[in-house]
Amino acid sequence: MAPIGHFTVLYFASASSYTLKDSEFLPTPLPLSKLFDHLDQRYKGMKAKVLESCLVTLNLEYVDVPESATDGQDLIIKEGDEVAIIPPVSSG
Amino acid sequence: MSTTLVEDGLYVGLTHDHLDAKDIMDRVRSPKAGAIVVFAGTTRDNFGGKPVKELQYTSYQRRALQTMLTICKAIREKHSLTSIAMIHRLGVVPIGEESILIAVSSPHRQAAWRAGEEALEECKAKTEVWKKEEFGGEEGGIWRANRDGAAGVRVQYDKNSKPE
Repeated sequence: MAPIGHFTVLYFASASSYTLKDSEFLPTPLPLSKLFDHLDQRYKGMKAKVLESCLVTLNLEYVDVPESATDGQDLIIKEGDEVAIIPPVSSG
Repeated sequence: MSTTLVEDGLYVGLTHDHLDAKDIMDRVRSPKAGAIVVFAGTTRDNFGGKPVKELQYTSYQRRALQTMLTICKAIREKHSLTSIAMIHRLGVVPIGEESILIAVSSPHRQAAWRAGEEALEECKAKTEVWKKEEFGGEEGGIWRANRDGAAGVRVQYDKNSKPE
């Protein structure tokens, strides 16, 4: 469980290799549109090298990450939420 | 260690144990069925001719099980199957062993053949499981991507190094 004022972000596959983590807690609230830039600041180059080919889930449901906060579609990541970075899958 | 979701005529699972073809066959066996088709995906010792030492699978387990269940439900309905079961192995899978098993049963064989293939393709396209091919030595591994036959992303950062 994330501490008060935080959400959990899960990293898989290439996202996990890039951050050297499986998960971490980040402060809330965070607009979804700011997620990639926020992670790119923590892990330099992550947006171009990893995130742009990834999908995102919020509490297990896929969400569209808006290009900018101005298009009125933005979700806010709240305390206790679980966000996951989903690289291209490779089961089988 | 394994997790499963089970509904009427549907079984999906993720496990760190060896996979057992007889076990998954028995899960779809029914007096109403005239055919059972089983697919076993096994780990190959090379990628494009390059030797692979072993494969390692990770998963977003809760999300992956939901995706597998959704796929199986849709395919069971579309092909009027009696039953469908899908299980994927996680962790290190040595070369030549099963990494995925899919079993479908139906009254007649044509539907079972088609459904089995479709279930595998859907699983490979959507299920939140990731495969890392370990080449051994200093080269490390590559996270494979099924989509568009993409070559995947090299694991550039081991535990002793920082991202650039």
